[in-house]
Amino acid sequence: MFEFLFSYPSRVYEKGQFVLLGGWPIWAWALLAITVAGGLAWPYFRSRNDGEVRIQGWQSVVLWGLQAAMALLLLSLLWQPALLVATLKPQQNVVAVVVDDSKSMAIADESGGKTRAATAKEILNAGLLEQLKKQFQVRMYKVGRSLERLDKTEDIQATQTATRLSDALRGVAAESASVPLGAIVLLSDGGDNAGGIDLATLSEVRSRRIPVHTVGLGREKYDRDLEIMSVDLPARALADSRITAQVTLRQTGYAKTKVNLTLRDGTKILGQQTMVMKADGEPQTESILFNAGPAGPKALQIGVAPLENEENRANNQVTRLVNVEATKPRILYIEGEPKWEYKFIRRALEEDKTVSITSMLRTTQNKIYRQGVAEPKELENGFPDKAEELFQYQGLIIGGVEIGYFTTAQQELIRQFVDRRGGGLLFLGGRNGLSDGGWGRSGLLDLLPVSIGDRRDTFKRDRAKVELAPGGQDSLITRLVENPEANIERWKKLPEIENYQETGAAKPGAVVLAEFLVGGKRMPLLATQNYGRGRSAVLATAGTWRWQMLQPLEDKTHELFWEQLCRWLVTSSPPRVLSSTPKQVLTDETKVQIRAEVRDKTYLPVSDAQVQARVLLPDGSSEMVDMRPEPMSAGQYTATWDADKPGAYVAEIVAKRGTEELGTDLFNFRREDGVAENFGSEQNKELLEKLSAQTGGVYYSPSTASKLAKDISYSEAGITVREAKDLWNLPIVFFLILSMRATEWMLRRKWGVV
Amino acid sequence: MRSRIWIFSLVLAFMVISLTYAQRRSRPSFDDEDGPVITPPDAGEKTEFTFTRLRYPSFRGGSGYWGVRGSWSTDYPKADRQFVQGVRRLTRLHVRSVEDVVDLDSDEIFNHPWIYAVEVGHWDLNEKQAAKLREYLLKGGFLMVDDFHGSIEWEIFTASLSRVFPDRPVVDLANKEPIFHVMYDLDERFQIPGIVMFYSGQTYEQDGVEGKWRGVLDDKGRVMVGICHNMDIGDAWEHADMPRYPEHYASLAYRIGINYIVYSMTH
Repeated sequence: MFEFLFSYPSRVYEKGQFVLLGGWPIWAWALLAITVAGGLAWPYFRSRNDGEVRIQGWQSVVLWGLQAAMALLLLSLLWQPALLVATLKPQQNVVAVVVDDSKSMAIADESGGKTRAATAKEILNAGLLEQLKKQFQVRMYKVGRSLERLDKTEDIQATQTATRLSDALRGVAAESASVPLGAIVLLSDGGDNAGGIDLATLSEVRSRRIPVHTVGLGREKYDRDLEIMSVDLPARALADSRITAQVTLRQTGYAKTKVNLTLRDGTKILGQQTMVMKADGEPQTESILFNAGPAGPKALQIGVAPLENEENRANNQVTRLVNVEATKPRILYIEGEPKWEYKFIRRALEEDKTVSITSMLRTTQNKIYRQGVAEPKELENGFPDKAEELFQYQGLIIGGVEIGYFTTAQQELIRQFVDRRGGGLLFLGGRNGLSDGGWGRSGLLDLLPVSIGDRRDTFKRDRAKVELAPGGQDSLITRLVENPEANIERWKKLPEIENYQETGAAKPGAVVLAEFLVGGKRMPLLATQNYGRGRSAVLATAGTWRWQMLQPLEDKTHELFWEQLCRWLVTSSPPRVLSSTPKQVLTDETKVQIRAEVRDKTYLPVSDAQVQARVLLPDGSSEMVDMRPEPMSAGQYTATWDADKPGAYVAEIVAKRGTEELGTDLFNFRREDGVAENFGSEQNKELLEKLSAQTGGVYYSPSTASKLAKDISYSEAGITVREAKDLWNLPIVFFLILSMRATEWMLRRKWGVV
Repeated sequence: MRSRIWIFSLVLAFMVISLTYAQRRSRPSFDDEDGPVITPPDAGEKTEFTFTRLRYPSFRGGSGYWGVRGSWSTDYPKADRQFVQGVRRLTRLHVRSVEDVVDLDSDEIFNHPWIYAVEVGHWDLNEKQAAKLREYLLKGGFLMVDDFHGSIEWEIFTASLSRVFPDRPVVDLANKEPIFHVMYDLDERFQIPGIVMFYSGQTYEQDGVEGKWRGVLDDKGRVMVGICHNMDIGDAWEHADMPRYPEHYASLAYRIGINYIVYSMTH
């Protein structure tokens, strides 16, 4: 219909530039237009003045409007309007046809039960290919893990284990660098496993003005399917610590169904969570709390058992790796005076195998009692005044110690402990703590996650009830029982704390996890924040010990709370050499990026280190990989390495400076094949549409793909000619003139002014 | 014949009980022990630590089973108040100027992780009280016992203690134990006598010739019950201000008390 009325495909109007070929100046058109419009208005004006009025004023305006519009349209045609459009020169350009050959193309979800690959072949063989060949040289490719030339459509097998669309587009552009590439036609389901089309590829295609026309294959939505979309799990954990996996999944056709989300290590179930499915298509995130268990690398399977009549059962489970570390981070606890809290914190942590606590207690003005020291001389001279001495700890607890106890240098060291070393700092309440200890006037005020003033009477030796704050409902620190609702109730039933310290509100970016209630007022009991590379917290009491003494002997709430708080304090404190990879599980890909951050004893970045990665392969052999410093980031080293075989790998990073060993670290990663294509197997229409829109191409469905051969000519890439398409002879113009005259005539008949 | 044996047994039992009771009664006391108690002006202050005395049932009560002047209240309250003055002066511990008294029939004891029991050679805990004391100690509470002497009082003490811990032995505390070093290094310890020495001329009572530093340990080897047997540390606290009472006894008593408190707050 569009083409019948407008003579040309819509693409001509999208790509074309409007011009007037008549050669007469535009001001002449405007002058004539005013004259004609005025001339047409004159009879109406005169008849009103002569008193010969037979119609009302607005009716005169309508009739005049119709006459004037038609006159102006005819006048415009005299100026010869046209569209200037670039078209590909026949037989002088190359068109690349790229067909997705990945496993997901074998899914039979096209009309008539055909596979996506079969539909692609059908589209090509039903005339598209032939029409293209009439106008252009056609180069055919198939894309999966890599790009390959294709001689005939029968070679499309839909067997490749991954789809790399970016690589394919770059490959086509590179192969056609010396020939006039007019357009790329991509037939795909859009299921890219490399995270979509990268910016570099898009920029390259756009810079050459190559339009990418896409033909989307496959259903946009399954009727019955559940898919694990993502799993957020820490790459490292302390032995026997509790960690959370955040699992996001989505389903269609199973709304309100109960499913059991499980997390396994081999055959052993570490955690599970029953969940009720939300509305179709709505992503849903659930947490599974589990114990990391003993030290060692772990490959955890997270998923849901296949559901009844599920169309794709292979996307219900994913594998994630966690390196459970054998290290036992150390916490330094300084307390300003003997306190019951001190004793009970120590007792709670003595049970904990994952962290160790070293403490110094000021028993008298000049005496410090040390406990948990690694060797007799440790902390012999009091609180550390050297970075390398303080930074050997991963966590720091400052009990009721007044700010004046620390020298200016020590205060700065405390800041750097958090900011530079990345340690965790916890302030406790006390008669010499927080604002009563002068911290409100110190330069370390910003280390506190809550605001404190300069008052000296904020520490109250009165009991107070405690409750979980909204921010603590998802926190691992405050999770005393696994069920979130039961946990809220558990907090309400805890014995009152023995004392509390008043503080202000939480600072922006800080989270209040628990509150105490006094006289109907709620105040922060436990608040946390990130600071620099580390984190800090305030526990505004020295009276949680009542949770131990006032609850049954077998109750472990007090121990659990302190274990979890202290693990949070130290778990993310980085070692001097910290290695990582952005993707621990390589699904149908081979390239692994190895990163390392290297720091000295004072945690300053080291840019002149020799850093090597020793990669242990699945077959037991090993390879050494040299890592290079990142020019713009001090202390950062990177390398890219190919994992040729599927299986489990371990990378051990060793950093040296001369003969001095700066440290070692390791991480594990895994290559899995034949997995990626199972996920996101519905048509990714959004990606294909965006790709076309951003490159000047058009998205087609299989039913509209026949138009592609006509549209493809209008491109600015390759060898083009500019054509002027006349607009004066469009059928729509004729119909407009006719309809305006007819309307005027009918109105005149109706109003009796014929 | 049978009636003679009965009569003989009754007479013997009466003599043993009388002897024991007479020994208690024969212990001298000073007027200020029973004198008017002056409440310090800061008695109401809320503090971190309160000297907490355990009130226990004994068969000595002057005015009933829980009598105010039962054996639990020996040296009360002067010893308590005089001792905490020393604790205030010698440590950074925030201490209340007056004592508190708790018993084993309520849960108030759980608010006081350190308790002191005197003359435990006369205590008599029932099963329920013993169970509560066991729970208290296993949760992290600390009990210091003092001022009981000789084998007979030891037997009475351990009779109740065995109800608290049927399978946990009493051990002699070695010099290396942290409880003797947490504040003061107390390798050189000696028997601390009560004021009975002014009359008897000897530093011991009954057959308790040698001072014993004993304890009951938890599963991690921490002292839960600090047992000062054949000593009267309470008297030393109480009479530290008496010119006749030797300073070295009072000093050791204060150091022992402080070490036991600081130990209980650190272990």
